[in-house]
Amino acid sequence: MNRPLLPLLSAAVLGWAASAGHAQAQANATPAASAAAPATASSATFLDLRGQPPIQGDAVAGAGKAAVCTACHGPQGIAVAPNFPNLAGQSATYLYVQLEQFHHGQRKDPVMTGQAAPLSDTDMRDLASHFASLPPKPSGQADAGSRGAQVFLAGDPARGIPPCQGCHGSDALGSRAQPTNAPHPPWSTIPRLRGQSAIYLTKRLNDFRSQRIRPGSSNTRVMEGVAGTLDDADVQALAAYLSSL
Amino acid sequence: MRTIHPMSRAILFALLAGAPLVHASDSSDTMRVGDMQYGNGLDPRGWSPLMMPNPDGMSWLHPGMLRTPSGALYPYPYDLTGKPLGQRGDWTYWGLLQLGYIHLGGDRDAEFFRQYTDWKNGAALGLLAFGFANRSTGSYVEFRGSRISGDDQYYRLRAGRYGHYRVEAFYRDMPHTVSTNAFPIWNGTGSSNLTLPTGLTPGGSTIAAVQQASAAAPRRTIGLTRTRTGVSLEGELYRDWTGFASVTSEKRDGTRLWGGTMFFNYPFFTNTGSPFGGDGGIMETVRPIDFTTTDVNLGLRRVGRLWHFNALYTGSFFRDHKSYLDYQNPFLIHNVVGVPNVAPVVNGEYSLEPDNDYHNLRLELSRELRWRGELSLAAAYGTMRQDDDLLPPVNCTGTLGFSAGPLQQLIPCGLWNSSAALSRSTANARIDTQLLDAKLTFHPGRNFGWHADLRYYDEDNRTRYLAYNPLTGQYGYISENGAQGSVVPGETGIFDNGYYASSNVQIASAPFGYRDTLLELGADWNVGQSDSLSLVYTFDHDQPRHRERTRLDEQRIKLSWVSRSLGDATLRASFEYGDRSGGTYNYDPYEAYYSKSLPGFINAGGIPPPAFTVDAMRKYDMSDRKETKARVILLYPLGEASTVSATFYGSRDHYDALVGRQDTRTTGFTGEWDWQPEPNTNASVYIGAETTRLKLANVADNESVVGTVGRDDPRFGGPLYPLENYWHNLDRERDYNAGITFAHDFGRVKLDLAWNYTQSLSQLGFDFASPGALTFPDAAPLLNGRFPDNHYRSSTFDAGLSFPLTASIGVRLFGRYQSGSFLDWHYLGFGDTLVYDHRIYTDRGPQVHYRATLVGAMLSIKL
Repeated sequence: MNRPLLPLLSAAVLGWAASAGHAQAQANATPAASAAAPATASSATFLDLRGQPPIQGDAVAGAGKAAVCTACHGPQGIAVAPNFPNLAGQSATYLYVQLEQFHHGQRKDPVMTGQAAPLSDTDMRDLASHFASLPPKPSGQADAGSRGAQVFLAGDPARGIPPCQGCHGSDALGSRAQPTNAPHPPWSTIPRLRGQSAIYLTKRLNDFRSQRIRPGSSNTRVMEGVAGTLDDADVQALAAYLSSL
Repeated sequence: MRTIHPMSRAILFALLAGAPLVHASDSSDTMRVGDMQYGNGLDPRGWSPLMMPNPDGMSWLHPGMLRTPSGALYPYPYDLTGKPLGQRGDWTYWGLLQLGYIHLGGDRDAEFFRQYTDWKNGAALGLLAFGFANRSTGSYVEFRGSRISGDDQYYRLRAGRYGHYRVEAFYRDMPHTVSTNAFPIWNGTGSSNLTLPTGLTPGGSTIAAVQQASAAAPRRTIGLTRTRTGVSLEGELYRDWTGFASVTSEKRDGTRLWGGTMFFNYPFFTNTGSPFGGDGGIMETVRPIDFTTTDVNLGLRRVGRLWHFNALYTGSFFRDHKSYLDYQNPFLIHNVVGVPNVAPVVNGEYSLEPDNDYHNLRLELSRELRWRGELSLAAAYGTMRQDDDLLPPVNCTGTLGFSAGPLQQLIPCGLWNSSAALSRSTANARIDTQLLDAKLTFHPGRNFGWHADLRYYDEDNRTRYLAYNPLTGQYGYISENGAQGSVVPGETGIFDNGYYASSNVQIASAPFGYRDTLLELGADWNVGQSDSLSLVYTFDHDQPRHRERTRLDEQRIKLSWVSRSLGDATLRASFEYGDRSGGTYNYDPYEAYYSKSLPGFINAGGIPPPAFTVDAMRKYDMSDRKETKARVILLYPLGEASTVSATFYGSRDHYDALVGRQDTRTTGFTGEWDWQPEPNTNASVYIGAETTRLKLANVADNESVVGTVGRDDPRFGGPLYPLENYWHNLDRERDYNAGITFAHDFGRVKLDLAWNYTQSLSQLGFDFASPGALTFPDAAPLLNGRFPDNHYRSSTFDAGLSFPLTASIGVRLFGRYQSGSFLDWHYLGFGDTLVYDHRIYTDRGPQVHYRATLVGAMLSIKL
């Protein structure tokens, strides 16, 4: 091969590096893009849920601590308005982990950050157990042939969308762990989606799409990868389907 | 300095012009798209500077590191160094440039040091890699390249969209050094014409003059460079249908050590005291390597719910740009009669590999069945064709040979040095193959499965060539450009109804082929939760054509056991036994291809020609054989972060042969310990040992009866092959290798160390019934039953230190110290001279001892 190749390559690289550097500078100048840079699990406040065991709590004690919660989430865990999530029948571990994230700042919300701040670990376990013990919202009439059903159950391989049921269960009640000695996902931290509010689901999916939950948790990273494959229509279709289950 | 092929240049410019490229992930190629492993001596893995273990582990869902089903740890997944990701919209991009300098010391030209790397002092491109990926569409473009020298470099461009298509183009040069210690006397090394230097007379030089020319010859490197270029594409065509196409061209350019015979020198060596030496000649020449192989692969497949379909066309086209090797012979070739030859033999010639084409079309169809079953059918047709121009039997001019009374052995070159001397001007060679395969598999339950496979393969050799010269009416071929006919009476290589009426020479090609039918039955059981057993029986019915046997049957049974019931360990064990037998063994099935089958053949002195070979000979691929193989692999997870594995294996082959290969044995062990307590630390230790043994027996023919009655007797123990000429040969080899690696990232500095060691000892022993078994019986008292031992040893220590200067600039300092030793008795005496009588050698062989060092510094720039 000719010797001039190396200088030619170097020149091309330097030219490319100059344009790449310019693009990097532009990217850094955009706060949204900068904030979107993914954190790693080694960050100090990042919550790694991969080893999270199912939690135990006192549901009765939790009922006594839930008065303030019911203002938004309803006395029976069914939200008073669709922008709040239903908590009744939800996975206790999932609820506990969310409270913990609000408490430690891994997830931020104008209301919940303040509400969770004074809670002790016991409080969070009790509250989570209480709402988990409540009867969930009654089933609705879902359209099994809808786009939302298709995405939830089968995904869309052509667009790289995985089926949601892989983690959330085919009935959207969350996965039921199978006994095994092999390493397995923290199933108890994955929420039940059945009957959840469409407005709330839309907000959450869009939060994942925009990667605005920081520093978040390992589950946040999973959902960011999934939600990144969805467009607005997919989000609407999924939210409509799940809320009607 | 070599130039880039036009196609390669186009690819390179495409690589450089194709602006946005990204992603460091590197998966092995499918061989449908892409090429073999990209890497070089600087970095065999090809992307080490990009490899940063990701502390996040393998998955956001699974805690800890995962192990393979057999218990081995997966390595930590690699991430881009420091993640210098830029982003614009849905596109992310990255890049790394590693440039530096390499300095060599010590025996930098040692053959084993530079065998597959073209090390040079000077600047080197460690790695240039960049890429772009679109997280929304799954599109990506990536580039990677590295350059040690103009003969040792690679560049690769990949682009595609996950789940849709993938395209790849590449250019690479790979060196292969054969010898750095060669002293060819000829001018024109690397061309098709080797000419003698000034001072040597073709066909008439004294031995002293040849020795002087050899001593004055400059040291040269013998080797070649493989330049591979290719383009390939794979993509979804329609719904379940995908297709792929690839074209790869490999050009091999360089030299290789080669032969050059002027008939025997050892048996006809006569110390006449003449300064020109005696009789025939043996030369080690250098041939050119200048050919191109173009491979074309086209495929179409469909993966449906029940039916799977696969069609594959493979084409391979070999083109040799140098079809012959002519070399001048320095020696004066004598005949054994003792009269002067009518003219010296001044030239030798080889026909090099012919252009040839290969086509293969394979169709596969499979369907899922009940009970988790599958039916697979495959059919393939292939054809290999070669119709290159045939070279004339000789390139000499005038007349060779000798004239002595009734021995009028004159070779008129003009009647043999043109294509008119051939029965056909082109080869018209063709071999067709057919394959039919049907396989049925069922797993009706969780704990039991079985399969049956019936396979038919036929290789039909349609090549028919008759060695007949229509100009002279003679059969056969002037051997060795007339040299043999200038040495031995009656052995010119041809047959006719006159002077050569008693010459038994090959007159036609033997169209070797075979038909093979194979039946396989197998079953597997899961015994409990932790153990599984499998049993496979195979019956192989082979019908060779034009061989010593018309039928070979082999029955084989293999039992395998996989167990996880031994604590945390995984045990895999297998035992295999095969028994091969066949029909009657015909020690000489080739009579029809020799001139004694032609009308007019006369037994010299009324005595038939010497027997083709001894009747007790059993060629190793045709003899009865009993084979036993066993293997045990034990893998044990040692805590959370390490794994210990050990493999024991052995095989025993016994051949039922009094003459021929009798016995082979292999016994080996490998052990390995891998440790990765955290992403920034890993270590491994590896050891391996293997012994092999090969025993064969033969019987020397009794030279005293070659011209008398009894020479046609093939019996072992007969007059031509007496028992006292029986001899054995035992080849034993012991190989050891070991390696240690350690890498740790201290935060500011990353250290990596590696040591690799290889040792081989080869011993060749022999015994014989009597000195009659030897070519030179007088040498018997000097022999001790063994050749000198052959040794090979190599030890390589590598160290590297990497540290950042700024956020985007880092430095890597690295070094290598390699030492080795080599001793092979084939090369003994070459330190004194490469010329012994009429034998001239070119390669002095690898360095007996060498030490070479390499140090380098690379600047890494994140782009």
